[in-house]
Amino acid sequence: MSRSTRRGALAAATVALTLTVAACSSSGDDSSAGPTTSSSGTGSAAFQPQHKGGTLKLVAHAAAGSLDPQVNYTLQYWQLYQSMYDGLLSFKKVGGQESFTVVPDLATAMPKVTNSGRTYTFTLRKGITFSNGKALTTDDVVASFERIFKVSSPTAGTFYNGIVGADACLKKPASCTLPKGVIGDAKTDTVTVNLTAADPEFPYKLAVPHASILPKDSPTKDAGTKPLPTTGAYMAASYDPNRALKLVRNPHFKEWSRQAEPEGYPDEIDYTFGQTVESEVTAVQNGQADWMFDPPPADRLNEIGTKYASQAHVNPLTAFWYATLNVNMAPFNNKLARQAINYAVDRAAVVRLYGGTNLASPACTILPPGFPGHVDSCDYTKGGGKTWSAADLAKAKELVKKSGTAGQEVGIVVQDDDVNKSIGQYLQSLLTQLGYKATLKPLSANIQFTYIQNTKNKVQLALTSWYQDYPAASDFLNVLLSCASYHPGSDSSINISGFCDKGIDTKMQTALKSAQTDEASANKQWSAIDQDVMAESPVVPLINPKLIDFTSKRVGNYQFSKQFYMLVGQLWVK
Amino acid sequence: MLQFAVKRFGSALLVMFAISVLVFLIFFATPGVDPAARIAGRNADPATLAQVRHSFGLDRPLPVRYLLMMRHLLIDRDLESFVNRGSRVIPQIVQATPVTLSLVIGAALIWMTAGLLMGTAAATLRGKAADPLIMLVGVVGVSLPAYWLGEVVNLITQKQLHDSVFSWVPPPGYVGLAKDPGQWALHLLFPWLTLALLYAGIYARLLRGEVISALSEDYVRTARAKGLSERRILLRHALRCSLIPVVSLFGLDFGALVGGAALLTEVVFGLPGIGKLTYDALQNLDLPVIMGTVLYAAFFVVLANALVDILYARLDPRARHA
Amino acid sequence: MGQVTDTLPRSREARRSPGPWRTAAGDLLRNRAALAAAVVLLVVVVASLCAPLYAAHIAHTDPFQSHVSGTTVVDGKTVPVLTPSSTGLGLGVTPIGPTWDPAHYFLGADNQGRDVMARLLYGGRTSLFIGFTAALISCALGTVVGVVAGYAGGAVDAVISRVLDVIWAFPVYLLAICLSVVLLTNGLRLGPLTVDAGSLWLPVAIIAAIYVPYIARPLRGQVLVLRNKEFIQAAIGSGAPVPRILRREVLPNVLPTALVFVPLMTALAMLTESALSFLSVGVQPPDASWGTIIEDGLGLLYTRPTVTIAPGLLIALTTAALNVLGDGVRDALDPGARLRGGV
Repeated sequence: MSRSTRRGALAAATVALTLTVAACSSSGDDSSAGPTTSSSGTGSAAFQPQHKGGTLKLVAHAAAGSLDPQVNYTLQYWQLYQSMYDGLLSFKKVGGQESFTVVPDLATAMPKVTNSGRTYTFTLRKGITFSNGKALTTDDVVASFERIFKVSSPTAGTFYNGIVGADACLKKPASCTLPKGVIGDAKTDTVTVNLTAADPEFPYKLAVPHASILPKDSPTKDAGTKPLPTTGAYMAASYDPNRALKLVRNPHFKEWSRQAEPEGYPDEIDYTFGQTVESEVTAVQNGQADWMFDPPPADRLNEIGTKYASQAHVNPLTAFWYATLNVNMAPFNNKLARQAINYAVDRAAVVRLYGGTNLASPACTILPPGFPGHVDSCDYTKGGGKTWSAADLAKAKELVKKSGTAGQEVGIVVQDDDVNKSIGQYLQSLLTQLGYKATLKPLSANIQFTYIQNTKNKVQLALTSWYQDYPAASDFLNVLLSCASYHPGSDSSINISGFCDKGIDTKMQTALKSAQTDEASANKQWSAIDQDVMAESPVVPLINPKLIDFTSKRVGNYQFSKQFYMLVGQLWVK
Repeated sequence: MLQFAVKRFGSALLVMFAISVLVFLIFFATPGVDPAARIAGRNADPATLAQVRHSFGLDRPLPVRYLLMMRHLLIDRDLESFVNRGSRVIPQIVQATPVTLSLVIGAALIWMTAGLLMGTAAATLRGKAADPLIMLVGVVGVSLPAYWLGEVVNLITQKQLHDSVFSWVPPPGYVGLAKDPGQWALHLLFPWLTLALLYAGIYARLLRGEVISALSEDYVRTARAKGLSERRILLRHALRCSLIPVVSLFGLDFGALVGGAALLTEVVFGLPGIGKLTYDALQNLDLPVIMGTVLYAAFFVVLANALVDILYARLDPRARHA
Repeated sequence: MGQVTDTLPRSREARRSPGPWRTAAGDLLRNRAALAAAVVLLVVVVASLCAPLYAAHIAHTDPFQSHVSGTTVVDGKTVPVLTPSSTGLGLGVTPIGPTWDPAHYFLGADNQGRDVMARLLYGGRTSLFIGFTAALISCALGTVVGVVAGYAGGAVDAVISRVLDVIWAFPVYLLAICLSVVLLTNGLRLGPLTVDAGSLWLPVAIIAAIYVPYIARPLRGQVLVLRNKEFIQAAIGSGAPVPRILRREVLPNVLPTALVFVPLMTALAMLTESALSFLSVGVQPPDASWGTIIEDGLGLLYTRPTVTIAPGLLIALTTAALNVLGDGVRDALDPGARLRGGV
């Protein structure tokens, strides 16, 4: 997932935790990011009516496409959906580590899991009404699950293909029904979901916006720019992707669970699009806007960090930026050449190009710090050590010489925005230093991501990034580097390096299996897999980025959810 | 004459058709441009990818796709964007038009006034120090990169001198004329001046040349012999004849600008006009919007060309056969 | 949006004797403004040609190599080329500003820590090369196409004219961007001719192609008029072969116009190149052109405006000089020819 482009996903892998058994408690400490299922209602402070009211003004350079919560796959709108749409479950709406916790939302409690993890039973809350005035029923829940397939939701085949009957729905979406997969009982207000196999990650998948519950009469195609009724605190009053999105209070909303769907503070949220990023900064500085979506441009960072330090909020993300090395093409079909790049890249330089040590930290593992399975380890640093300290250019040159690949041509494909392009220029310069004939190909951000995935385009080295969908180690290792995610000739082949190592793949399968019973052991296995993969060097982890939220002077009650970022509806403008 | 006009418009239609085919082919020749994978989302499975491709008709042969797109654009008028599903192309263009018109008409008024004054002044002051000076200003205006000038103007008015001289300058953007005429003008002031500076020099130079050659024509000599005042000769005779090429050039420029040729100015100043719409669509590789805006732009260029040609055909019958 | 207009079908002196070439040269030499412009151009060209000398012997730097973690010397002290902010929240990194010391970042560094002055000189080579070659190709191609269409008439003319109309009506930047997006990802493969995606010849080809109609259309108009002149009719009547008529009778008459367009087209091509680079579809990194340096500098506009302003001024100076020189050439050779500039 990324902030700016349509991204993020997870292969339908099962993973390391059982949500019905609280795995480890959250301490709010970045280094222990074990996902928790605690539903103890701490963290959400009581509503403070004196701050209620006002209009919150948000700005972004561009809109994020369809407003349909079952179609949109961008963090830009998933952030807003936090206070608009609800699923049976949801991530806790608080700041800090607690935000990784899944809590009951439209369901009264966490589901009862039976049938060896294959059957989930939910009881629906009573008295919840959609913003169009209609009451929420079990029919709406059943229809919403069918709608995931009818609208070809991006994750239909990866998150929800485990539901009984999903196979047929994926093949013929128009006539999708799930009579054995999702069963509603209006009398008892219960919904039963049957899976073909146990999936400890399923509760996470129910907590993302694609599993939002919508009215049963919602159109069975992408609703696009037409807003759909909501259950949450806000609803969309109007949406024009070239101009603005206007959210107002949902007149039928009554707070039922402060941690799942808290009452919002502003009366209205105006999100306008189309300004240059430079003028967004100016607008926030002058109080004409309350928050900007886009990362501030490099030349304004210093000003924001000094003159406006009290209005800037910096948060580390569980994400990494990395370079992919195509293991099926010269020169990077040679392991020594791949390792040379890992030794040569000066992560400190990349950090500088990203905006300095307070905006990013050097990365040397695939799993980011603070993520399940992450253990500090670094094979490619000068002088050894657990974390990266300096590049070893001499060693890199020696490896290039040994590999006999010097003088070969290497094409580097990056996105054409400032930051990506500058890192690309650095990599190009570095590879030239190593003795390659390196060329740089900056492509429009919109095509670069599909372009680098397709093996037909013969990309040797690409710069890209990966932002978690939810906190599970498989979301990085299994998704990005397993044989199953390598689809030669397709635009959708997320294993961009084309890395497929049978031994490592078997280890991943074992880790996924043990996740169902012993989460701690699974995470240990994942960290070993991380190191195994790094020894093969199919990717070059560069940095773990941080996010700046720049808010206006009048904004209060800033809270950062690690899952879906700043809680928009919780901001005070009064 | 009528026959000429019909022929001219016939070929204009042909040109527009060719342009639409060209856009379509260039788009699908670009690797990585297939919108299906982008719409389907990151790591979508093959079945979902196929469904999305089907729902956008991307699995059909190219000519069918082309015809469908043109039908939606021109006949049903309900063509939708690939990126913002549900957002129709034609209303987007309709919405952007007033912004571009505001920018272009305002700038045209300024540059025509300035161009005419500078051109006439330079022609009448020929041989004096003022002439080369005026022309130098004109040349410099023509030689500036538009986007660079815009960025520098923004830098000065929004940052360097924003706390002193230019504190009254609003942030970049657009305010509707109907909403607040004062703010409308204020927001557009610097875009107007920037665009006008780029064009004024061209017109001043053109007019100067025309007036100078007109002043040496026989009819001017006759007028002088009749004892008419220099001022009257200039205004009544020389300037009048010199305006024909100026007006025709203006027609072409204006047509192109209304069609979105002020793209860079609109982008730099954050004006949501046709040029910005086109630019954004290109950034997103949103074919339906690109198609809509390119045809819209081509329409104005072709129209302006046809009108100018017909105007000349009226004035000079030889041109009809050209 | 630049266009050469063909809106003035006024009759022109039909035939020139070889004499006028010498007269024209004399006229040009007496035109002080044009001379001054020529001197300015010469200085720019020579300075650009000296780029490697400057980089190697004065600045001692490789302007195509990133120096993100490098250091330099200012007033005898060693300082980093890129300085991370250390106050407040410590966000952002600022490259070194102008030191006015030619040996150490005379005009400061860009976001890769590269010497801006050295890149400006190298950028000048690229920009001038692209501008001049694109203009030459465009004028040569435009002349051929215009003469063929005008002289052949009939179906050939109709086909060529419609093709020119299409390019003409296709908004310049759109056409250029569309072509660039395709060519920059694929490179160009036309039979035996292969151009790599990063090659400088791609922007040259794109710019030359989009401006062909701007030359071809006025020349075609001229040839149409010429064709009905007595001396051409006489040549046709005498049974002279077509190539010879074209070479001996037609070409000498249209060549002055074509030549007049060269400096003006060069100016236009340079502006177009910079605009394309600004839209990231022109010259590709690490090659530098004035346009790409501006684009690199825009990310530093608020902290290091020199990186953006200096190349912009150089573009303005060079295109202004080309325009003045072009006006001089036109006054000397063919006062009727006209070029539209500006964007």
